[in-house]
Amino acid sequence: MAAVLARLGLRSVKEIRVQFCPFEKNVESTRTFLQAVSSEKVRSTNLKCSVIADVRHNGSEPCVDVLFGDGHRLIMRGFHLTAREMLTAFASQIQARSAAGSGDQPAAGTGRD
Amino acid sequence: MAVSVAGMLRGGLLPQAGRLPTLQTVRYGSKAVTRHHRVMHFERQKLMALTEYIPPKPVINPRCLSPPPSPPQEETGLIRLLRREIAAVFHDNRMIAVCQNVALSAEDKLLLRHQLRKHKILMKIFPSQVLKPYLEKSKYQNLLPLFVGHNMLLVSAEPKVKEMVRILKSVPFLPLLGGCIDDTILSRQGFINYSKLPSLAAVQGELVGGLSLLMAQTHSLLQHQPHQLIALLDQYVRQQREGNSIEPANGKLDLPDSVPDS
Repeated sequence: MAAVLARLGLRSVKEIRVQFCPFEKNVESTRTFLQAVSSEKVRSTNLKCSVIADVRHNGSEPCVDVLFGDGHRLIMRGFHLTAREMLTAFASQIQARSAAGSGDQPAAGTGRD
Repeated sequence: MAVSVAGMLRGGLLPQAGRLPTLQTVRYGSKAVTRHHRVMHFERQKLMALTEYIPPKPVINPRCLSPPPSPPQEETGLIRLLRREIAAVFHDNRMIAVCQNVALSAEDKLLLRHQLRKHKILMKIFPSQVLKPYLEKSKYQNLLPLFVGHNMLLVSAEPKVKEMVRILKSVPFLPLLGGCIDDTILSRQGFINYSKLPSLAAVQGELVGGLSLLMAQTHSLLQHQPHQLIALLDQYVRQQREGNSIEPANGKLDLPDSVPDS
């Protein structure tokens, strides 16, 4: 799954904040997501993207907060999600962003012509 | 010409006299090819088809049956070694911190390991199949929820939390999950609070300072009254002496004045 992310790249992502309480029950999916996102191959696709692990101990629910370059925000509550679902949602968002970005660029190019 | 060549060949091929075999096979043209499968005769084919073995069908389909019990997995030497090592790690070290083993590049990981090693903090990675059964039995079973997925242990004989937290801060996506110092389970916040504590010597110095201040205060409070009494008595004696020398008769009148003065 991380390989898919590495292929897509994090170019359109500004910040990924993964927040969880390790002593709670359903944190496995969030931790797997962090494992996938923070791997060297994925991070090297965008060095400006900051991946932050926020470990708390207040019984809060696991949560992934992704801030995209265009100001869009994706919040995933990991309590009821599996890691695969989170990664699929994240990948589809990245695809949508990159498609929008590539759609804009040719339009700008034609405008200049 | 051809006849003579044939005669020479035949003469060359013929065995020497005296060792003449009774039967000699000479092939002409045909070759014994054994590479391809030779088709059986039709009669034989029929016979083989008739006499083919048909195994009897089992009463229950083997797929419907539960699989036979696999032999219990034997402990390999590696597992025993790892278990011994884990027990030693948990027994010898006062500080045990649990981190998620994030897929850093090998270079970063080596650098981190080296930096931690400078402060005598060791990075240990054990397979969770071996670690979990050990933890369930030991007193550290409350740490079990931390061990999900890939984990690593940062252990040191002395609780050097300050250095560890400082080094881990340089890698923002490497989460310190929690840990155990001197049989006390701490969360990440607990570790950070612990790292902010001053060193033991400083705290002891502060304690000694505070205690000595109180001691000095008590001492001065205890000494205050006798000193005052002595001063009063001195004053009284002096006044008496002065009264006696000037007017011995007025001594009785001076006495009540001196007491309210003090």
